[in-house]
Amino acid sequence: MSDGRPDPGDGPLPLRPVVSFLRALRGGLDGGNGLTGAIADAALALPREARESLEAATRRLGGRYEEDDWGFDEQFADAALPFLEFMFDRWWRVHAEGVQHVPSHGRALLVANHAGIMPWDATMMGVAMMREHPLPRPPRFLVLDWAFDLPYVSVAMRKLGGVPASPFNAIRLLEEDELVAVFPEGVKGAGKSYRERYRVQRFGRGGFIEIALRTGAPIVPVAVVGSEEIHPKLAESSVLARLTGAPYFPITPTFPLLGPLGVVPLPSRWRIEFGEPVDLSVLGPGAADDRALVLELSEHVRDLIQRMVYDNLVKRRHAFA
Amino acid sequence: MPGRRILITGIASYLGTELARILEDDPEVEYVAGLDTRRPRVPLARTELIERDIRDPSLLALLPPTGVDTVVHNQIVRRPGAGMSPRRAHDVNVIGSLQLLAACERTPTIHSIVVRGSAGIYGAEPAAPQFFTEDMARLYPLRTRFQRDVAEIENLFGTFAKRHESVACSMLRYQPSIGPAGSTQIPQYLSMPVVPTYLGFDPRIQLIHERDALGALVAAVRRPVRGPVNVAAEGTIGLTRMIRLAGRPTLPIPSPLFSGATAAGKRVGLLDFSPDFQRLLRYGRGVDTARLQSEIGFTPRHTTVAAVEDYVASRRAADVAA
Repeated sequence: MSDGRPDPGDGPLPLRPVVSFLRALRGGLDGGNGLTGAIADAALALPREARESLEAATRRLGGRYEEDDWGFDEQFADAALPFLEFMFDRWWRVHAEGVQHVPSHGRALLVANHAGIMPWDATMMGVAMMREHPLPRPPRFLVLDWAFDLPYVSVAMRKLGGVPASPFNAIRLLEEDELVAVFPEGVKGAGKSYRERYRVQRFGRGGFIEIALRTGAPIVPVAVVGSEEIHPKLAESSVLARLTGAPYFPITPTFPLLGPLGVVPLPSRWRIEFGEPVDLSVLGPGAADDRALVLELSEHVRDLIQRMVYDNLVKRRHAFA
Repeated sequence: MPGRRILITGIASYLGTELARILEDDPEVEYVAGLDTRRPRVPLARTELIERDIRDPSLLALLPPTGVDTVVHNQIVRRPGAGMSPRRAHDVNVIGSLQLLAACERTPTIHSIVVRGSAGIYGAEPAAPQFFTEDMARLYPLRTRFQRDVAEIENLFGTFAKRHESVACSMLRYQPSIGPAGSTQIPQYLSMPVVPTYLGFDPRIQLIHERDALGALVAAVRRPVRGPVNVAAEGTIGLTRMIRLAGRPTLPIPSPLFSGATAAGKRVGLLDFSPDFQRLLRYGRGVDTARLQSEIGFTPRHTTVAAVEDYVASRRAADVAA
C-alpha cells in the first residue's frame, strides 16, 4: 500500500481477498441482487475462515441467533472467549487449581471473594471452568444490580451469563440445575481499600446459605487472588458517586486521572482455587429459616475462603512478577 | 347447569370482539352482552350491545337485570390512543373499574370476574428478578401513572373479592401482545421507519401472541381462578434481536436524550412513547407463567420468539400482497 501501486492484486497478502470480495460484491449489486444475496455470493471469493465469520455476522444482523430465557448468548460468549483467554493467559497469567471440585452436572453454588468494581473475577472463573474442567459448562454469575443500569456493560453481562443479584434469580437458576457464582461480599468487597484488600468482608446476611439450603445445592468455596490489585483503590469520592449514581466512586492511580484508559486493569498475577464442595443438603430446606444456623454456616464458609486466600497469597509470592 | 351469561367490557377492541365471537359459538353460553361506546369492527351475531361509557352511573341500573354470572373486564387503557389525554385514560381505568364493581355489587348472580390487567404493575427495573412470580408485584415502588392505575385497579378488585367470597376474581397480568391483527404498542413500534432504542441497552422482552392472549382470556372465563395470574408466552427475546428479525434499522439514542427525542417524534406524528414503554425498552421484563399453565390450564402455542416470527411473516405477506 505504501508504494502506491495501482494493482491491488499485488498488495500485501491479507488485502487480496478483501479486494476481490469487494469487486464481487459490487458485481452482485450491479446484477440486481439484494445486499445480503450479494454478500453471500461475494463471500465465495474469501478464504474459508473469513467466509464463515462473515456468514455468522450476516446471520446475526438478520436476528438469526439464539439467546436463552435468561439472555445468555452462547455465540456471543464464544466470540468473547479468545479475548478472555488472552486476559487469562497473558495479562493475569492465571493459575487455576481444584477445578475438578466443581460438580460436572446438576446445581452448584460457587461462592467467591470479590474485589474490584468490574466482574473480572467472575469471567476469569468462567474461563477456568471452560478450559480446565473435564466437562466444561459456563457458570451464571450474579452481578451487582448497578451494572444493569449501565449502557453496554449491562448487555455484555447478560450475554455472558450474568444476572442481577437477586435471590429470586439465584434460586430459579439453581432449580434449573445451573452452576451459579455468587460474591457475598457485594459492594463491600468491591469497594474495599487497598490496605485491607485480602480481608474477606462480612458475607452480608448470609443470603447465599439460605439459597443453598432451600435448593439443596452444594457450595463450592472459591478463592480469587490477584483481582485485588487490578484497580488499587486509594480513596473514594462520595460526591462523584452521587453524581454518577454509582454505589461508590473509586480513585485509583490511573482512574479517573487517565479517563477511560484508567479503567484498563493492571496486570497482576492471579491464582484461583476451587475448594472442596460443602454439601448442606442433609439439613433440608427448612433449615433456611434458622437464622443462627445460617449466620454460623455463612461465617464458616467465609473462614474457608479467607484461609484459601491467605494460602494462595503465600503461593503466589509476588503480586506482579 | 344452566347456560352461562357473560358481560364483556371494551367489546369494540380486537380482543373483546374476538372473545364475543368465540363465546357466541359456545353452546354452553346462553347470553353475551358487550359494553363499549364504540361499535365492534365486525358485526356480532347474538351479542347484546350496551352502548354506554363504562363510567356512566346508569350501569348500576343496567347490569343487574341482565342476570350475568361472569364479567370480563377488558377495558383498561394501556396507551391512550389518538384524542385521548392521559387524564382521561386514568379516568376510564380507575373510575370505570369502580363503577363496574359498584354495578357488580348490585348483581347477586355474579360468580366470577375476569380482568384483563397488565404485567406493567411489576414495572421494568434494572436489577429485577428475571421472572416475576405473581407474589412479587410490590417489590419496587410504582413509578409511572399507568403502574399506579393498574395497582389501584388490582386493589379495587382485590377488596371486592375479599367482600364477596363466592365470587372468583381472576386478575390476568398480560405482557404486551404482538400479532398480525392488533395495532398494539409493540407492532406499532416495530413498524416505525427507524426504530429508536436506548444506546447500549438490549433488554429481554417477553410478549404474548394475540391469539394466545385471546386463548388465555377464553380459558380464564371457562375456568376462573382467584387472584393474579401472569399471561405471557414462554421465553424472552433480546430487543435488538426482535428488531433485526423485523428487518428494521435501529436508531440508538443515548439515554439522557431519549425522552426528548421521542417526545419530538410524537409531535411530528410518530409513535407515543409512554413512560412505561420507555422503561420497558431500557430494562425489559420477564414473568413466570407456571400459574397460567397449572391453574388456568392454558399453555400459549407461540413462544415469544415464535410470536415475533409469526408477526414478521404475516407482515411480509401483507407487503407482498399490497
